Amino acid sequence: MNKTSSQRLPPLKRNWWLKHRFFKLYMLREATVLPLVFFLLCLMAGMVALVQGADSWQGWVGFMGSPVVLALNLLALAASLYHAATFFVLFPRVMPLRIAGRSLPDNMIVAGQWAGVVVVALLFFWLLGRA
Amino acid sequence: MSKQAMSKPGSPQAASHQQAFDEPLWWGLFSAGGVCFAVLLPAVILFIGVLLPLGLLPADALSYERATALLFSVPGFLFVGAVVCLPLFHAAHRLRHGLFDISVGRDGFNKKLMYGAAALLSMLALGLVVAGMLS
Repeated sequence: MNKTSSQRLPPLKRNWWLKHRFFKLYMLREATVLPLVFFLLCLMAGMVALVQGADSWQGWVGFMGSPVVLALNLLALAASLYHAATFFVLFPRVMPLRIAGRSLPDNMIVAGQWAGVVVVALLFFWLLGRA
Repeated sequence: MSKQAMSKPGSPQAASHQQAFDEPLWWGLFSAGGVCFAVLLPAVILFIGVLLPLGLLPADALSYERATALLFSVPGFLFVGAVVCLPLFHAAHRLRHGLFDISVGRDGFNKKLMYGAAALLSMLALGLVVAGMLS
């Protein structure tokens, strides 16, 4: 990306992206990292608690259950799925796959990646979900 | 903008040598982090960020002993690399370009701030796993 374009073009106003649905969705996609960063910081706080000991760990689980934190992490879950939906369609464009000389249809590549999401979730269920 | 700052006055060749050799690294980390964010994070957030605090997991699923055993191990180290470090660089890249899009700050500074913060937090996260393995 050429960051010197402002030398040649008139500078854009800060709200340029509000004028078209496509650019609003672009900004929404960029913003998916905000709740992600929140969740990652929570996760790192949990790692610190785990190093500190059992009491800290229980305290951290309680912190994760407080309404605001839980709501932000639900937002992070939704953001991760929205990011996935926008990211998976890029794969066949960036790296078209060919098997035995035939190019794989785009929707199969996208479906394969969603299958990956499900497999990871099943792995977590296998690891953590069984009573 | 960082490229402007790099060009020295009086060197006519400066303009043609303003290739940013580090950019492929940041785009590579962005891409790898994007895959991890999309494929791994939904399950991680669902189980650790939602089901665990709601008490919907079996009681001993992430007890202190179990969580310690799972995290402070070689698979735990790889888990942190894929679930924390790479997505941090993905986020840093999007935040840097997002700030440029809304004309906040200078790109040269934002770049150092974002990738620097991602690198520091990544080292802290991996360091925590190593500290847990050693203790």
